[in-house]
Amino acid sequence: MNKFSSIFENRHDYARDWKKRSGGKVLGYYCTYFPEEVAYAAGILPVRILAKHFPDDTTDRLMYGNCYVTRDMFNQFNLGHYDYIDGLVCLESCQWWYNAFDVTMQVFPNLWSHYLFTPDYPDGNRSKDVLRSELSVIQKKFEEWTGKTVTDAELDNAIEIYNTNRRLLRRLYELRRFNNPVILGSEAMEIMLANQVMDKAEANKMLEELIPELEDRAPGEDRVRFILIGSETYDAELEKLIEGVGGNVVIDDLDNGSGYVWNEVVPLKDRLMAIGLRYLGKPHSALKDNVWRRRPEQIFRLSEDFQVDAAIIAKQIYCHPHGTDMYAVWKLLQERKIPYHTFERDTTLPYEETRLGVEALIHVAKQGMTRANGWS
Amino acid sequence: MKYEYGLWPESNWQSGGIDWRKAKKISAGVDVGTTSTQAAVLCDGELFAWSNIRSGIDFGYAAKAALEQALGASGMKAGDIHQIAATGFGRKNVEGAAQRLDDIQCHGKGARYLFGKEVKTVVDLGGQTVKTIRLYSWDRVADFKLSDKCAAGFGRSIEVMCNVFHVPITEIGSKSLDVEKDPEPSSTTCYNFANPEAVGLLRPGYREKDFNDNEILASYLFTIAWRALSTIGKIAPLDIGDIKLEEKVGFTGGLAKNPGITKRIERELDITAATPKYDPMLAGAIGAALLQ
Repeated sequence: MNKFSSIFENRHDYARDWKKRSGGKVLGYYCTYFPEEVAYAAGILPVRILAKHFPDDTTDRLMYGNCYVTRDMFNQFNLGHYDYIDGLVCLESCQWWYNAFDVTMQVFPNLWSHYLFTPDYPDGNRSKDVLRSELSVIQKKFEEWTGKTVTDAELDNAIEIYNTNRRLLRRLYELRRFNNPVILGSEAMEIMLANQVMDKAEANKMLEELIPELEDRAPGEDRVRFILIGSETYDAELEKLIEGVGGNVVIDDLDNGSGYVWNEVVPLKDRLMAIGLRYLGKPHSALKDNVWRRRPEQIFRLSEDFQVDAAIIAKQIYCHPHGTDMYAVWKLLQERKIPYHTFERDTTLPYEETRLGVEALIHVAKQGMTRANGWS
Repeated sequence: MKYEYGLWPESNWQSGGIDWRKAKKISAGVDVGTTSTQAAVLCDGELFAWSNIRSGIDFGYAAKAALEQALGASGMKAGDIHQIAATGFGRKNVEGAAQRLDDIQCHGKGARYLFGKEVKTVVDLGGQTVKTIRLYSWDRVADFKLSDKCAAGFGRSIEVMCNVFHVPITEIGSKSLDVEKDPEPSSTTCYNFANPEAVGLLRPGYREKDFNDNEILASYLFTIAWRALSTIGKIAPLDIGDIKLEEKVGFTGGLAKNPGITKRIERELDITAATPKYDPMLAGAIGAALLQ
């Protein structure tokens, strides 16, 4: 457990060390739709750009109005935290990420970069062919960049390593389904985030050692069970706050939480098509849940499977995909009688306000699913 | 320039009709808010004493002072109280509190004490936030909504604007209602924008030609009411058939005493709010005292 926490805390040192050991290139990416397998097969380490929660004084001019997360991503480049990054890839994603990419490339023009189009309608008729074509383009770009041809065997190896990683992380989620889970939400989130900045082969070895240890743990305390919904998260501070007042996040619907591991690549002869189908078939992100609105049902299914008492919707301030998505989620939670509390995550918001809302929600949940019991 | 217009009067009260020495259970609640602190002392569930003071910068001191002022010359000492519960943003700073309770359940419970069991919706109009609470049964919380960060400093902003307008805080509400026709809100986003917009209306030209001072106040307070309305609107519908909303709303917190806010909320929702038995700022403290 501590190994993952330590890697997460010292993620920049980990990547620098990986680079020294392997001689490979490190590629930064923002969005959960980035097909990491293709980069990994080319010998590149994909590292998810993660924000840190501290106010900055450098991004106001270039990124006014952006969410603080994307502002901080650029800020960290400015501060030199990502000086080991060789290239940066941006996807068809939220406009704030695009602006972070754009501004970063203006200030650091020598970075290798690529814009990968990922269809906005994952279930659209032509989406799989479009993404297959885009993956072919990015594979060629990687080959030119690294001077190395990607073989089918290397793609198969990358697919297997990433699928194994997803299976192992799913096992962590399964441990959280039980009553009084042996692992807390904050511990699980730190493992998830560490995995997104690590070489997956190394992460898999660590997970294979860790999971049996966790399974032997004594059951945890009795806590109110939460599902965490909302914008991507970049640390486990919220989970820790919830645990501090008697709750536990047992499941999440976050792009860099369950959305990162919920489905695998099903092997096909056409490897790029297989990889593309995995990303199109993953639980929809708020931004890409445009017409079919699959997210509310997915959230309900997770809530049922993990027996949650209440839901917390944490939207990053100025996050437009979740700003529009919340209304559909609220409607579902109200219809299905799941108590919930929504708030905006913001570096300037005092913790006490967040704690108050969580405490009050725990109080409501402890009364015993009030909506289900009727309010008269 | 005087900066006293925004200062609301502190107050305290002791019951003459209760002999606290005969009480089997003496409980106290201290609600330490960002702007004001209240203490309420109950003897066997009946309100015995209360105080309402400004929090200042030292929450621990404010809690202690509020309790001392509530007890006043009643003869009761803090040591005579069997149990103290704390609530509010500064609840961790209350020395000797056996329980630290969240504001939502305290305001829900306290509002029922102030308004009676008919109240199903409580809107706490506080110094920092707006909290809308939907109750069911006697004191159960069915749902709650907190204002988002754009309303932070909600009541406190009015204190600031009283100093700008040179209007005492006890009069700003009634003055704002003394207009022929209510103007539009100066902003519909949050007080951060409302304040400068309202100050902008004081510029020469606007002031004489387009708005008189009361209209500017009306426009400004409508903004604050608007913020509260957005929080009230997010609360889950009360799915209990024939109960009418207008019979069930109670306002608590400092702004519950500002008719410029409450009347505008009532007008927009087409309701008449319930009348409290005591100072509506006491809801949190009374609720904390009752929840032990």
